[in-house]
This record gives sequence, C-alpha cells and structure tokens, in this order.
Amino acid sequence: MDIRFSDCSVKFKTHVALHPFSLVLSERRIGIIGLNGSGKTTFAKLIDGLVKPTSGTVTVNGLDTVKDAKAVLSVAGFIFQNPAQQLIMPQVMEDIVFGLKAHGLGPAEAEARARAALARFGIEALGPRRVHELSGGELQLAAIASVSATGPDILIFDEPVNQLDLKNRRRVVEAIHALPEHAIVISHDLPLIEDFDRVLVFHEGRIVFDGLPAAAIKHYREIAGC
Amino acid sequence: MLTSLYVEGDTFLHRQRPGAKLALILVVGLALYVTESLTVQAVAAVIAAAIYFSLPIPFREAIYRLKPVLFTIAVLGLINIWLLSPHEALVSTLRLLAVVFLAAAVTATTRIADFMETITWALQPAEKLGIVRAADVGLALGLVLRFLPDIFAHYEGLKHAHAARGIAFRPLRALGPLIILTLKDADAIADAIDARGIRGR
Amino acid sequence: MTTKDIVLVALFAAIIVVLGFLPPITIPLIAAVPITAQSMGVMLAGCIIGARRGAAAYVLVILMVAIGLPVLSGGRGGLSVLMGPTAGYIAGWVFGAFVTGLIAERMVRDGQPEVRQYLGFFLASIVGGIVVVYAFGIAWLCFSTGTPFAKALIGNMAFVPGDVIKAVLATLAARAVLAGYPMLPSRA
Repeated sequence: MDIRFSDCSVKFKTHVALHPFSLVLSERRIGIIGLNGSGKTTFAKLIDGLVKPTSGTVTVNGLDTVKDAKAVLSVAGFIFQNPAQQLIMPQVMEDIVFGLKAHGLGPAEAEARARAALARFGIEALGPRRVHELSGGELQLAAIASVSATGPDILIFDEPVNQLDLKNRRRVVEAIHALPEHAIVISHDLPLIEDFDRVLVFHEGRIVFDGLPAAAIKHYREIAGC
Repeated sequence: MLTSLYVEGDTFLHRQRPGAKLALILVVGLALYVTESLTVQAVAAVIAAAIYFSLPIPFREAIYRLKPVLFTIAVLGLINIWLLSPHEALVSTLRLLAVVFLAAAVTATTRIADFMETITWALQPAEKLGIVRAADVGLALGLVLRFLPDIFAHYEGLKHAHAARGIAFRPLRALGPLIILTLKDADAIADAIDARGIRGR
Repeated sequence: MTTKDIVLVALFAAIIVVLGFLPPITIPLIAAVPITAQSMGVMLAGCIIGARRGAAAYVLVILMVAIGLPVLSGGRGGLSVLMGPTAGYIAGWVFGAFVTGLIAERMVRDGQPEVRQYLGFFLASIVGGIVVVYAFGIAWLCFSTGTPFAKALIGNMAFVPGDVIKAVLATLAARAVLAGYPMLPSRA
C-alpha cells in the first residue's frame, strides 16, 4: 500500500474541513482518532476519492483519486459508519453478488466469490437473510464481506464498532485484526487501535499527532481534556 | 412482506419466454380492439379465462387477485348498457375480460428475474442512445425492495414517538416527517453505491 | 441521472408503495369515496423531488406492477391492472408527477414567503395530480369501454372533492419537506 497526500486540502463552501497537509501512508494497520468534526471522515473519504481535494493531489498505489477515480475504487474499499445504508439489495447474498456483477463477474463466478466472502468471516448463515432484519454486528460483518468480496487491497472503516454490544464488538474487532488487507480505521473505541502500527490524531482539520498508538491516545486525551 | 404474484408450476405458459408472452398480450389486445364482433370477443374471453383458471392457482385466490379489476369492468359494463346499448356494452366488457385474464395469466407464470432479463434486453436500444442504463433499472428496483421495510419501520417509529409524547397520531400528517426521514439517507446511500464502484461499468 | 438521483427515485418509489399500505381515511361528508394515500404520491413526488425524478419514481412503480409485485393500494399488481379499464390513470401518474414537478420547480423556491410556496405546491398538485391524471384516465376509459367522453367526465367528478383534499394534504407535506430537507431541483 502506498497512499500519498501532496499539499492536500478540503474546503466545503466556506468551511475548511482539512487544512493543507502532505503525508505518506504505507503501514498495515493505521488508526485515526479525534473529536467529532475534526476532519477524520473527510480524510478517509479523500483516500477513496469520495471527497475530492480542493487543492493538491491524493494518490493510492500510484492512482490519482481524481483522474483514476474508478480504478481507485477497486483498490480501496470503504465500510461506512452506518452499514445499513451500504447494503443496497434486499438479501445479503443478493447484495454481494450484485456488487461483484457490477465489477464485471459472470453470475456463477459472482455467486462463488460471494459464498467465499461470507465464509471468510464465518457468516455463511447470513447469506439468505434480509438486510432489514440484521442486527448491528451482523450488518457490520455483512458490509465487510460485501466490500472485501471485490478484492480491494485497502479497507477503510468509519467507526466500525460504534453502537455495537460487547459480543458483536469482539466479533468485528477480531475480523478487522484478522484481515490480510491493509486497514485504515477511524475509531472512537481506543482499545481497537491500541496495537495498530500507526495512529493519526486529528484536531480542527489538522493532523496534530502522527506516531505510535500509546502516545497518540495520550495526545488525544489531552485535546479532549480527559 | 411483498410476495410476487408468480405461481410455481410447469404449464405451457410457464415454459414460454417472457418476451413472447408480453408480445402475445399486445397482439391479442390490438386484434381485439380492431374488431367489434361479439362472437370473436366472447370466444377470446372464454379462452383467456380458461387459460387463467387452468393455472395451478386455487380458485378463490385466482378470483381474489382480479377482484378489483373485475369489479371495475362490471360496473362500467352495467353503466354502458344504459349509456350505449347492451350489445356494445357486452363487446367492450368481453374484450376487457379477455385481455385482463390473459395478462393475469402471464403475470402468474413469469418470474421476476425473467421479467428483469427481458426488460434489460428491451432497454438495450435506449442504452445505446444514452437515455437509460439497463443496470440502473436493476439497481433502482433492488433499492426499492431493500428499503421498503426500513420505511415501514420509520413509520412505526413515528407512531411510537407520537405515543411516547402523548400526541394523537394522524397518518397523513406524519407524511412530511416520514418523507424527510426516508430521503435524508439518500446522500449516504448514493455515496456507498459510488464507493463500491457499482455504477462503474 | 446521478447516483443520488437514482437513490431518490428508488426511495420515493418505495414511499409510494408504503402509501398504498396506509389505512385509507374517510371524510364524513363524502364517505362514499375513501381517500387512499397512494394517489397523493403523484403530487408529493412532483412537489418534493421534481419533474424528472418524480416521473421516474412512477415509472419504477409501474415496472414493479408489471413484473408482478402487488405494490398498488389494496395489494393490486400484475399486468392485468395495466390492461384494465383504469390503466389510463396509472399511465397518467407518470405524466401527472412530471407536470406537478414542472410547475413546482418554476413556482416554488427556498426562501420565498410561505404563502407563495403553499400556493405553488397547491396549484402544481391540482394541475398535475388531478387535471393531467384525469385526462389520461378518462381517455383510456372511454377508448377501452366505449363510454362517451362527457359521461365519463361527469362520473369522474365524484372523485374531485377527495382529490382536492389530497392536494391540500400533499401541499402541507411538500412544504414541510421543503422547510426541513429541501431537494426540489431549482430551475437551472
């Protein structure tokens, strides 16, 4: 993985979401922490090309998120804060197959890949279930399976264990830790990123700390005043 | 919650391609509209009814499905006896019955997936002209079925929110809030679809 | 259409289906005609998501009816509904939503005085949701059953009071949505 931000900034109308910054990311597990509204989600969406930089450039494995937007999407997958909004077909299996077909796979191959994706996270039983009826933890796992099925190299998570009970939290945390893919995780759940390779702390649209988890968490606590 | 009107079976109609069945309705419909012959209409209506009722649908269910349409046809037929003439009323009533029975038979013998395949195929010319993308139609249909239960849940939620605050619940007055609750997810859903690269090809 | 347009069209189509399942209300004075919420969707779709998307939402609903999903009020669906004597009204929904949207897009803007917004939505609902829908409905009714036009028109008048009430309700809902989450495409 090689993500490069060069003099990158993001402005929404008059509001500056991210002040200009340059950064290279290559670690396997990267955590992003910070207060609400500090620019974490905007930063994550920049990587996927869902937010375009107002100035500067972002490249993912050499692909520009503006010029090669489609190619970037197949390299980096995004699991949204609310996975219910991400699963767009009535049944879990249908959803995964639909995504794979949209990436050009034939029906039989898509079906096989979808089964493999479910098996990978131990949620084969969710295949025929209706998305509407899934619990929070099931939704999160189904979304991870659905996004990883298309084979991205990088998975970006926006608060994956937010609102999960302890049991489901553990399932999702284990799934994230076991991923062979690179993972970039926004989290308010600090223990989740404790053993990550690198953690960025965001504050008011700037990266105010970049380093190891323990020091990053300490810095974040100082900002939050607790 | 939303069960298709398709009925499992292996009749002659089940085995035909959806495109052929739709063409049949069209051709029969057009043919019946160019003739005013009572005999032709009567024969057509009897044959169509025979086809429909010979499908593996319990008789009561078969009637139940068509009740609203049959009721309208009957009322209009009765009115027309008085407005026009018994002969004319009978011709138009039999014609409508024939077309409606035939259409109901096609609906009962064609799977949703098969219909969708035909629709995708039929949209190809429009796709070439850049009017609509066939894949988008499938996407939109999936989205409706996916989010229908969520909207019902929003509706129940609004009902409970009213009850919790001791406010009388008026379904139609809740329309505004229900629509806002539903549509405000649109940005996030659209973002997610784009993030998954679903409309990429 | 952008992805967001497709999502709005689909969500609105789903709302139209949900409307069909809401309990119909009866107004004491005109108890003969129960007011089903579903046909209000024409007015709501045009006023809330605009002409193109509103019409597209109805095309999607009709597509669902055609492929055999019982999504119309009272659990109706299937090709028979689209071939029956009242099919013209269903086709009219598409054009009605479009015309409602056209008028609403031109008359209503965010930040106008409230009264003007109410008037704009009401007029759009009456013209698109009633006049246009009736025009298509009556035309097909006359053609398919042979009923003389004048008589069909008179028969249709029984539905006018109910539909005017729907226009009022749709106006209120559309204005509530405009205030809370505006998305009516402004005339570019």
